[in-house]
Amino acid sequence: MQAWNLVASRTRASVAPTEVVPDLDEIVESDESLKTDEPWLVIVWNDPVNLMTYVTFVFQKLFGYSKEVATKLMLDVHNRGRAVVSSGTRDHAENDVTRLHAYGLWATMEQAG
Amino acid sequence: MNLRPQSRLRRLRNGTYALHLPPDERALLGVLPQQLLAALELLESDDDLTPDAARRILPIAHPRDAKAEEDYIRRHRPSLLARHMESLDLIARTAESNKLSADELDLWLTAINDLRLALGVTLRVTEEQVEPDPDSPDFADWIVYFYLSFLQGEILEVLEDDLPPSTPGAGADLPEDPWGDPLGGLRWDGTPLPPKER
Repeated sequence: MQAWNLVASRTRASVAPTEVVPDLDEIVESDESLKTDEPWLVIVWNDPVNLMTYVTFVFQKLFGYSKEVATKLMLDVHNRGRAVVSSGTRDHAENDVTRLHAYGLWATMEQAG
Repeated sequence: MNLRPQSRLRRLRNGTYALHLPPDERALLGVLPQQLLAALELLESDDDLTPDAARRILPIAHPRDAKAEEDYIRRHRPSLLARHMESLDLIARTAESNKLSADELDLWLTAINDLRLALGVTLRVTEEQVEPDPDSPDFADWIVYFYLSFLQGEILEVLEDDLPPSTPGAGADLPEDPWGDPLGGLRWDGTPLPPKER
C-alpha cells in the first residue's frame, strides 16, 4: 500500500491544468456584499469517487429530501456536473456547506443574481 | 440447524448494529485510517506539505472569492478537520467490535468515504471503468478501493432503512443553477478538470 504522503507530489505534479485559471490570490474581491437581497445557493459538484447511492443518502439525511428528490439532485450532479441543493441566508448556506463537507461531498456557495 | 449465512451488518432491535466481518477486513480497517490521519495532521501544521489525498477531505467552498475562502477556512476548518479525524480514529479503534451504535456506524460511513476519497485522488479515479493490472504497483490500492466501495454500499443498505421520514415538500422549490457554465469543469480544489473528465 502506498503511503499517501509519498504519492502526493507525483499526483500534484501530474495534474497539469489545461487552461489558464486565475490564482485564488488574484481573484478580486466580489461584490457579494452589495447583493444583500438575493438568496445564497449551495452547489454540490460532481466527483468521480463518491458513490451515487452515498450522495443520494446524504441529501436525504441532511435535508430531509424524499428518495425521489434526492435521486433527481444526485443525477443532476452526476450528469450536469453540479446542482443547487439548498438555498437561504448566507449563514444557512454556510451551515449546509459545512455539513456537506463533513460528509465528504464537494459543496460551494454563491449568492444568486 | 440454521444454514443461512450470517449477515455481515444488521440492525438489532435496540437500535445498535451487529457487525460480523472476517479478521482480514478488520485488520485492514484498523490500520488504513492511521495513514490518512498522519497525512491530515499535516493540514494542521504545514498546508504546503499536505498531500492532495488529504486536502481532498476539506474541499474549497468559495472558488470565486479568495477572501471568503480564507474566512471559511479560518472559521470552519478546525471543526471539520476534527470531525474527519474523529471518524477515522473511531473506525480504527472499533474495527474489532461486534457491535456499533448508530452514531458509530454513521462515523464509519464518513470514515470509509474519506478513505475512498483519499485513495481516489491517489489513484486518479475518473468516471471511466477501470480494470487494474495485477502487475501494476497500484494494484493493491485498487483492491482496497473496490473493497471500501463494497463495504460502504453494505452500510448504506442498512442505514437507508433507518432514515427518518422525509420532510413533505422539501426540495420542491429549489432554484435552478443560474449561471450556465461560467466556471467550466472544476476539481475539488478549484483547478480545472482536464477535458476528458468534464
